[in-house]
Amino acid sequence: MSTNNNKLLVDIGSTYFKVSTADSIEQHFRDFNKRILDDLMHKCGDIVQSYEPENVHICSSANGGLSTLIIGLTHSYSLKYATNIAYNSGINVIDSIVFQDIEEYSIPSDLIDVVIIVGGIDSNGGVFDERLTSYLDKLNYSNVVYVGNKNDAQEIAKTVERLEILPNIIDDRLHIVETHLKDYLTNLYQQDIEGKEDIKDLYEVTGNQIYSTPFVVNKSLPLIHTSFSVTDPFILLDIGGATTDVHYSKDLVSDNIVTEQGHDRIVFKKLGVYKSRQSLIFTAENNEYAYELLMHLKVTENIYNEHSEKATKILMQLAIFLVLCKMSHYRPAYVTLKLLAMNSIVFTGGITKVLNTEDIEDVVAFFYRKILNSDHKPVTVLDSDYDIWTLGATEHAACQ
Amino acid sequence: MKVVTGVIGNDIHVVANRLMDLSLTARGYEVFNLGVNTYLEEFFDAAVETGAEILLISSLNGEAEGWGREVKLLKAKYKSLDGLTMMIGGNLTVGSGNAEDIVTRFKNYGFDLVCHQVDLNTGLDMLEEYMQEQKHS
Amino acid sequence: MSQLQEEREIILGNENVDSFDFDEVREFVKGADEKLFISHHFANKSKMLVQPRGGFPTYEKQFALYEFFVDANVDVLPLTIDSNTRLNDYTTAKKMLRLSEANEVDMLNGYPLVNHGYRSTRKMMTHFNHPVSLRHGTPDARLLIEIAIASGIFEIEGGPITYLLPYSKNFPLDKAFLYWKYVERVCADYSTLNKPINRESFGPLTATLVPPSITIVIQLLEMLLSLEEGVKSFSVSFSQQGSMIQDIVTGKVTRQLADYYAAQIGCEDASIHLVYHQWMGAFPMNRDSADQLINMSTVIASMVGADKIITKTREEAVGIPTKEANAQTVANTQYTLNILGGLPAITDEQEEEILTAEVHAIMEAVFNDPADTLWRKVFNSIKNGIIDVPFSPHIINHNKMITIRDAQKNIRIIERGSVPIPDRCYEYERSCCDLNKDTTSIVNDIIHDIGIMQ
Repeated sequence: MSTNNNKLLVDIGSTYFKVSTADSIEQHFRDFNKRILDDLMHKCGDIVQSYEPENVHICSSANGGLSTLIIGLTHSYSLKYATNIAYNSGINVIDSIVFQDIEEYSIPSDLIDVVIIVGGIDSNGGVFDERLTSYLDKLNYSNVVYVGNKNDAQEIAKTVERLEILPNIIDDRLHIVETHLKDYLTNLYQQDIEGKEDIKDLYEVTGNQIYSTPFVVNKSLPLIHTSFSVTDPFILLDIGGATTDVHYSKDLVSDNIVTEQGHDRIVFKKLGVYKSRQSLIFTAENNEYAYELLMHLKVTENIYNEHSEKATKILMQLAIFLVLCKMSHYRPAYVTLKLLAMNSIVFTGGITKVLNTEDIEDVVAFFYRKILNSDHKPVTVLDSDYDIWTLGATEHAACQ
Repeated sequence: MKVVTGVIGNDIHVVANRLMDLSLTARGYEVFNLGVNTYLEEFFDAAVETGAEILLISSLNGEAEGWGREVKLLKAKYKSLDGLTMMIGGNLTVGSGNAEDIVTRFKNYGFDLVCHQVDLNTGLDMLEEYMQEQKHS
Repeated sequence: MSQLQEEREIILGNENVDSFDFDEVREFVKGADEKLFISHHFANKSKMLVQPRGGFPTYEKQFALYEFFVDANVDVLPLTIDSNTRLNDYTTAKKMLRLSEANEVDMLNGYPLVNHGYRSTRKMMTHFNHPVSLRHGTPDARLLIEIAIASGIFEIEGGPITYLLPYSKNFPLDKAFLYWKYVERVCADYSTLNKPINRESFGPLTATLVPPSITIVIQLLEMLLSLEEGVKSFSVSFSQQGSMIQDIVTGKVTRQLADYYAAQIGCEDASIHLVYHQWMGAFPMNRDSADQLINMSTVIASMVGADKIITKTREEAVGIPTKEANAQTVANTQYTLNILGGLPAITDEQEEEILTAEVHAIMEAVFNDPADTLWRKVFNSIKNGIIDVPFSPHIINHNKMITIRDAQKNIRIIERGSVPIPDRCYEYERSCCDLNKDTTSIVNDIIHDIGIMQ
């Protein structure tokens, strides 16, 4: 492994950006009136200019990532497998549709970056019909990929333009096959980051490829023990300005999926404390325990309307509670984690600059008591110096 | 012919499940074995994904009574499973019960073929006969 | 603080543990009576050690069971753990323990060790002053084994493969390897203080037509995973297979290859023992027949030359055995061992040669996996079907291997799947069986072969 003493690592988030050298780490609140490059050079120009472009490594989550809509045959196989692969490739799933009921689903108005169509083992066929095309006709999307049974591929290709056909993600034993779709989505994400005008500018200061932040963080998880006292099984929460990213140990779920990595990822879109502030508050208002939590934190619902440091702090505590709820049996989302078996809970991202360990433990304990009726207390680990990101970025930079 | 099979619910009778798999394969079926501890929804979902003609559920610890009522309701949600032949076999109740009553009850739950404490090969002969009849009728 | 110690503090910080005193536990292990260590008994034994199975929910019932065992002249006491604890569900175990204590009805199928805690359990273990073996079936046994050792239980059964593939459908196997690495390290660490802690692998696996080559390979791999972390005393094991000569050959090849592979990684100094399980498959309902089967198992264990035998009871087919039936087996087994004399030395060179070649071939394929650590090589090998355990419920297992008994009741491989059984061995195995039947008859034979003792 080469030394990283002469490397500069930069992470662009939706709210903050971070700049890390061998001896220091700086973070800055973004100025949304400026282009990213201008903002970066304005605040850290001296540091950036002191590095050769080939020694500058940048990752970004500023664009909020790619979004996908999945159309599949069943929950237990096609939709579950495609969702798992999408999340682990850093893609946010905005909706998944059971094909037989496709006419009952509303059409999302937002532009979908990629539509995934999946269903049936290879010896099956004739499972899709014209309802697929008529739905897609109404949908606004940039890419469409087919990873279902072999027999239907050509038929669908006739009616769906620019259809990318990849091998089936369901094999003949009904097991998952990750590789092809995962590579495709990872590349798509890559191209997207490079394509964003704002991000494109950054190639003026780096000679290296710009990667997505969740990709870099996921790389660091097997190495997390070298920097922190973290005990498996654990979850890692990255509560950001726009979205919340959760990486969790696979033994926290009872899924019949044999995948490559030891940790899976899930994203809660629109659960953040800046850009997604309104939807966070909306979620809180619909949670019967949120009121009690506010009482416990000695504030009232008026806090939702305040824009103070205190309000940010409370919102972050709320975000932790709501994310834990979404991963428990109380508000089941895509996965339900065995939270009583969890030994550590790791926090990274902007939240570590606002909350201290006690603030977090207070909320976590409240969650366990109220929702799970337990005194369980996972050990809280705060990654306040972005070591996890540095670990992943360093590891990645070393491999390049 | 494609068959989806497995053991339902909180039941870990691996030996019976594996023998079912081997027997069906020996009789020329294409078998999709979901193994032990399988949920009802997974069975139906597997039938959809594979395009199976037959669903053969084993239940050995007498728990079948508990979920039997849900079968019709859940199956009704699927639009492509009308032609699916549904069979259940094993120990369908706890303790002893009148075999005839049990068969009637499970047929009402939506099963075409019900084998309560019937020997494996006899059960599979019944299945073969039934499928023959279906073809001719 | 070492990384292991940090992890231990988190594991033992669990809300179900009443303040774990690391220093006090170390002092206890350091000063513990050598009689509590099975490794000490192995080193000084003059006969095969006899160990029953058994665990009850309450302290009182477990205590009473041990009294019966000691009266029956037991050598090694068992502590079988309940199934909630095996799944790390200490909350349910706690509830069920309270109910069992209040109502005289056993609401658990074993002893919930974590809920009882080490302070009270240790009183029981030191009172009887016998070696105790922990029997569980837990993929993540980190907390359980800490409490066990602190209680004076100095033999830990299990392993990442043998406690996962027979019991679980979807616990991630890679995680099981990492959790068992912790177990090995803690055992290795305590082993430096007094007599070594003994680790024992669970050879019976699914106890359903598992061929000896698969059993031995898994025994050897779990042994290597343990020794490479510093464990100094290890037991390989297998259960009665149905053919006396196959058991004798299996015992001999297991011992030889255990020594061979231990030496390959520079662990000649570790002491390796052989454990034999009485018939683990389906038992006869008839209690007298069950007694005959148990007695036959004891004779075969002697022919095999096992260091320890683990017993069954005449009530096996009925349910959880009573303490009376359990103690009776111990007394009967001791009696048989006492009166047995003049055992012939039997060998079958051809069978030994074939089995040895099969094991070497599979082991070589495992070592050839490109992964950088042994556990990952083994993990990949199971995922690729190089190791395939018949009748495992786990989704990672291929279930492509098919086995059947020949006329001598030896277990033979008639379909090898992706397991690299050398061609000549495969041809030999198949040639022992009548395969000219239609496939339905062969399946009927398999059904018959599983139930041969019933």
